[in-house]
Amino acid sequence: MITAGVDAGSRMIKVALWDTEEQMLVGSAWCDQGVHQVQLAGKLLDDLLRRLGLTRNDCARTVATGYGRNIIDFSDSAVTEITCHAVGVQHLAPRARTIVEIGGQDSKVIWLDDSGVVQDFAMNDRCAAGTGRFLELAADKVSIGLHELEAAARKSAKPAVISSMCVVFAETEIIGLLASGVCPEDIVAGVQSSIASRVFSMAGGRVRDEVVFTGGVALVSGMTQAISQAFGHPVQLCEDPRMSGALGAALIAARQASL
Amino acid sequence: MPAEPSLISLDQWTARREELIADGLQEPVYGGALARHADASDKRLRQFHFDNSAAALRLWNFLLTEEDRLRVARASGQMLVGAMKDLGTVPVMAYSLPNIVAFYPDGAWWIPCLTEHTDQVIRLAEAAGFGEAFCPVRAMFGAFVAGSRFPLPDLLVCSTGATCDDFASLGDALEHLGHHICWWEIPHRHSRGETIVLPGGNRVSRAAVAFVREELMRVRAELSSLAGHPLNDEELTSGINAANRVRRHLRALRDVVFSSDPAPLPALEVLIAEMLAIHFCSEREESDVVLLGLLAEACERARAGVGPIENGAARVFWINPVADLRVMNLLEECGGRLCGSDFMFCHALDEIPEDLEPMEALARMALSDPMVGSTEERAARVCAEARRYRAEGLVVSRVPGASHCAYEGSIIRKAVERSLGIPVLEIEVPAVCDAVMPSLATRLEALIEVIRHRRTG
Repeated sequence: MITAGVDAGSRMIKVALWDTEEQMLVGSAWCDQGVHQVQLAGKLLDDLLRRLGLTRNDCARTVATGYGRNIIDFSDSAVTEITCHAVGVQHLAPRARTIVEIGGQDSKVIWLDDSGVVQDFAMNDRCAAGTGRFLELAADKVSIGLHELEAAARKSAKPAVISSMCVVFAETEIIGLLASGVCPEDIVAGVQSSIASRVFSMAGGRVRDEVVFTGGVALVSGMTQAISQAFGHPVQLCEDPRMSGALGAALIAARQASL
Repeated sequence: MPAEPSLISLDQWTARREELIADGLQEPVYGGALARHADASDKRLRQFHFDNSAAALRLWNFLLTEEDRLRVARASGQMLVGAMKDLGTVPVMAYSLPNIVAFYPDGAWWIPCLTEHTDQVIRLAEAAGFGEAFCPVRAMFGAFVAGSRFPLPDLLVCSTGATCDDFASLGDALEHLGHHICWWEIPHRHSRGETIVLPGGNRVSRAAVAFVREELMRVRAELSSLAGHPLNDEELTSGINAANRVRRHLRALRDVVFSSDPAPLPALEVLIAEMLAIHFCSEREESDVVLLGLLAEACERARAGVGPIENGAARVFWINPVADLRVMNLLEECGGRLCGSDFMFCHALDEIPEDLEPMEALARMALSDPMVGSTEERAARVCAEARRYRAEGLVVSRVPGASHCAYEGSIIRKAVERSLGIPVLEIEVPAVCDAVMPSLATRLEALIEVIRHRRTG
């Protein structure tokens, strides 16, 4: 039996397919989010199924997650991304007890109990300063590609201090830093450190080993080190971090289908 | 109980009211179609879902016609007293006097929500320097300046000291605009020296009670002077008895709503009903009638095992009132139900001691206010109530700009986790939360998912 997870995030849509007999992920795909997100998600799922020689009729159940979860009309149910990331990460890293998830426009810290069930969570509520949007904006301002950020941050001798509490003001601050001669590498390192410390602050200092980092921002080189430094703990990068929410949704769909 | 309990929109209420009238509903003088309030100014009502009972219709009409009642009272020569930053003390005294109507100007903090910011109250407050760093009660200042939401009172009474710094600043600014304020001071509740036990169980020094009693004696003198009639102990005792009737009925209502499955009344109506205990919505006897109507409806539904919220909804205890009332609906839309609350005036649900000299009793009541004690004491009461009503999760709703909200969440969280081991969610609710609704919904839904998962192990 095949089940599907659709993660309609703020920046990207991700789809994962789970084979319940083989107990394995049989396919995944992603695309940029857009205006017609239901159609985009549907096409993404259909294309993936077609590549595997399947159709939607082969899909026993579909669970949607992400901020657009409630409008994915072809899903059988909707589950929050907090639960889905927890299930996805728990599958990939069974010893995870603290999950740091940073997406395009939100960030979360999820704590699991000893059986891997969500015990508590924290989520940014008022600003995007601890999210991928901040990183995108900073990369754009210093004309460095997202994939080059780690190399840039590694060259930093003195990371800049980004003190603004809001992304819009931080942009002004970055322009000011550039104007005053601070090198782009120091700004990049400063922004990564700023995002990491905001997430740590949101977590209220609560850390349980093991800490696993997931979400699209985990793919940005240098962020794992920044998170590890802010949390004062070794941090494990989740396998395929962009897909952990969709994978969790597919796994939940499998559980629901078996009931 | 002519129809199945359900949640209905404002437009649906128009047809529902006609059904009720056809079935013989007798409306009070303030009755009428709920939609008229939205047409007049309170646009946000169109975003709410309401309980469909006649008792709920009466509650909403009672709440939304308070301004009319105040104007009628003024026109008939009654004196108006604005009891500010007062959660159930001065109104008890004021309503013990003939010819005085007390109201709660602080309630203006819901104007930006109900009018969806189409009113000018926030703009006027900001123009006077009360920006976003202030509690939403700054809307009250704007309401005084605009003079359009309630008639200006003949006397303002305001507590200060351990209650709220933001409020003291607003009161100070009002005084500079020429509004005379009778200030009374309340100290931080401490238990040094000889102590006594307050209603609600906290201890306080006897000296603090004596101090507050003297402060309230000054207020009593001002109220007497305004009424042209010295308030005597017999009248005050009678006023305390009447206030206690309201409190008893509210407690009974909370008990049946929070204990029954499914919840016989929705969260939004419970929050509005609780507000009646502190200010009587400008008519003490009628507020009791409204509560009794709700209580009868809730009891009947509980007996029948029905309610507007699905059976088995996650039992959530709620802390602090929400600046946007729509969020109480959201809790239920996300799969939760209210099973306990501390809207910052839970002491006004306790009965005022009737076996004490009346001013001593009022002083003790005032010192029971959670705002004047430590957050740890508040958290202890929250834990006891949450345990009593079998809460499965707890929401601490932060009020943007309110100073106590900056620190109390983590203290309450720790106490709840230690004492009950249930999940705690902190959220912040602005006056109109449409922009953050998806994010709020995600967090509330995630809390409900955690609760459901814990149920099944």
